Amino acid sequence: MVATVVAIRLRAAWHLARREWWRLLIAGLGVTWMLTMLPWLVWGGAALARQSDEVRADLLVGLVAVLSIGWAVVPLMVAGLDDTLEPARFRTLGVSARTIMPGLTVAAFLTLPALFFALALGLLGLSWRVSGPEALAVAALGLALAYGSMVLGARVSAAWAARVLSSRRAKLATFAVLGLALAAAAPVALVLFRDGLTAVIGADVEVLLDRLGTTPLGAGVAAPALAAEGDWLGAGWRIAMQAAWLLLVHAVWRVNVAHQLVAPLGRGGGARRRHDRILDPVRGLVRPRDGATAAVHARLVRAWVSDPRYLSSLVGVMLLPVTFFALVMPVFDLDPRWAYLVPIVLAVTIGWGRHNDVAFDSTALWLDVVSGRLGQAVLRGRLAATASWALPLIVVVALATVAWGGRWADAPGLLGTCVGVLGVSLGVAALSAVLVPYRAPAPGASPFGSEVGAVGAGLVAQLVSTLVLVLLVPFVVVPFVVALVAEAPGWGAAACVLGIITGIGAYAGGVRAAGAVYNARSGRLLAAVA
Amino acid sequence: MTTVPAPALSLRGLVKRFGHTLAVDRVDLDIPAGSFYGVVGPNGAGKTTTLSMATGLLQPDAGTVSVLGIDLWGAPEAAKPLIGVLPDGLHTFDRLTGAELISYAGRLRGLDRDVVRARRDDLLAALDLEDAGRTLVMDYSAGMAKKIGLACALVHAPRLLVLDEPFEAVDPVSAGAIRRILEEYVATGGTVVLSSHVMALVERLCDHVAVVGRGRVLASGSLAEVRDGALDLEERFVALVGDERERRDLTWLRQS
Repeated sequence: MVATVVAIRLRAAWHLARREWWRLLIAGLGVTWMLTMLPWLVWGGAALARQSDEVRADLLVGLVAVLSIGWAVVPLMVAGLDDTLEPARFRTLGVSARTIMPGLTVAAFLTLPALFFALALGLLGLSWRVSGPEALAVAALGLALAYGSMVLGARVSAAWAARVLSSRRAKLATFAVLGLALAAAAPVALVLFRDGLTAVIGADVEVLLDRLGTTPLGAGVAAPALAAEGDWLGAGWRIAMQAAWLLLVHAVWRVNVAHQLVAPLGRGGGARRRHDRILDPVRGLVRPRDGATAAVHARLVRAWVSDPRYLSSLVGVMLLPVTFFALVMPVFDLDPRWAYLVPIVLAVTIGWGRHNDVAFDSTALWLDVVSGRLGQAVLRGRLAATASWALPLIVVVALATVAWGGRWADAPGLLGTCVGVLGVSLGVAALSAVLVPYRAPAPGASPFGSEVGAVGAGLVAQLVSTLVLVLLVPFVVVPFVVALVAEAPGWGAAACVLGIITGIGAYAGGVRAAGAVYNARSGRLLAAVA
Repeated sequence: MTTVPAPALSLRGLVKRFGHTLAVDRVDLDIPAGSFYGVVGPNGAGKTTTLSMATGLLQPDAGTVSVLGIDLWGAPEAAKPLIGVLPDGLHTFDRLTGAELISYAGRLRGLDRDVVRARRDDLLAALDLEDAGRTLVMDYSAGMAKKIGLACALVHAPRLLVLDEPFEAVDPVSAGAIRRILEEYVATGGTVVLSSHVMALVERLCDHVAVVGRGRVLASGSLAEVRDGALDLEERFVALVGDERERRDLTWLRQS
């Protein structure tokens, strides 16, 4: 059965690559990048070998802990996981979780990122050879167990997140995750702001790495240092803990696979709604007058509060600004004015995240296409639904940032700049969504799934959107930066006015251009996202 | 002098290729206004691809589509309002309730709120979906999804209905209701184009039929013309598309 399941995955990848040549190109680029990293990894391994056992263990514990968190979080925020072997696809075959788990497990390790990280950890782990064969053997075992936990952890994280977001408590879960993330970041930020990076590294990082070495995030990686010291008990229980964690993660995954085989995601649980929100929308900031635009707007407002794919995007946009404020600012001991980047970055990420917005409709967009030449209305309604929550959020975050720094004179410039950046990023995203749509998870599918190769296509589209924004956003931000650097209130006022004008202009221009492209490409959009 | 009315739907030289596969190969077809037109063909014959191109969902590689004399791909803003479409196998906006989905279709078509409200309630009642109207479409069965899709196609009272497998997964009672709605629609001057694999259904409902195979129209015209003396449509269909498959004896399947 292992061979059968693995063969399905490889065969599906091969068929997709034959059908669409660019998938091979993207995979080739990925492999090339990985090969270019090899000399660096060899160099890193040699550098590690020159360190003491303790330092080497600390560095590897830190690295593996960060990687483990990354593997659990990145599929939820950015790329998604290859969905060729989504357990739901086996539902009609009548197989049990016990039967397919070995195959799914092996296949999980046969993705390009998994193979690359196996190689990377292997090369770095070889640095333990300088501490003797026993330490090297323990390092190999500990790293293998930690690596297994990392790869399977990504499956568990995506599966459980999808399950929670498809439940009727999705909204609650989303805001709970946001709250937890902020609560986790707050104490870190507090300590970093209070003590500064140097003091924290001197006093806290060592303790933190030591503690991580006693948790499943680093136990297996910390074990070889203890083995090298002759502390076999300490090494033994850490290896045992890492092995137990791996078994636990695998068991949790199996429970989830068993659940997916009998319970489809994305059902509404018989929820009933009394009001027709298309005809009688909830009163909000935005009330489009045109009937078609109002209908699209009302549909997207519903999606933003109930569709797991949109809810996960909502959480994703907070990642970068929160990380910047809670970690980057205190670590680099930045001037409080750098905090103004938080609402600006938030405005960028909200817009940037909509670069594949149209594809989220999946084949359901047929209804928009057959109903007329509605590109303008569809794009106006879509963007208005995003702007209706994004604009108030940006304003609140911008004012909160100003209040934190206590420099109220900067408020007008910052607000105008944020409006400008949001308008530009939404305008660019609108155009990108129509020009380069790629297959997004379909309605009812796991929001964290991704077709083989679509990850690469997604990354290319994301890269293009990023490059365009990197080119355009500085023009909006420059007057405000000048106002801050030169302490010139006149530039602040200019930033306010220019930002608002640019934002509205870019937003309207983006809608108009994207609507025209939508109309021109309406006969190809369905095929592009199907 | 009398003018010949334009066909409800006219396809000329339609071609669609997917990679190396020629899915639709120079299809010409005229569907008279006021007809109940069946399109039949084996799986993979190109029916859905042809209907997708005929309704603006898929850009043809070559050829033209006219709806009541209006070029669909040249002037979609004039042609699309004349058509109601029910595609097969595509998603719907399933986070809306059935009632909201009909309202959505109506508002996209530019109808006033009050008109949409009245038609929505009429359609929900006519298709026995009154109770389901408040439930999310994602919780619908396949048959209910078909019915709500049909309601979306009807809400703006189009002059031409293009329905891909409209009776698939629909229960007999609902199928009867749909048949009555469509027959009354045609009786009052509307045109229906439907694709189906069920020959008996096509023979019962349609006055015209086209048999599609290997991406081409193999025969078209009135039911009697296409039958061409055959006992029934199925016999003629098999004769046209061929039945060349090897007949294997699945002895391993026998239970006794």
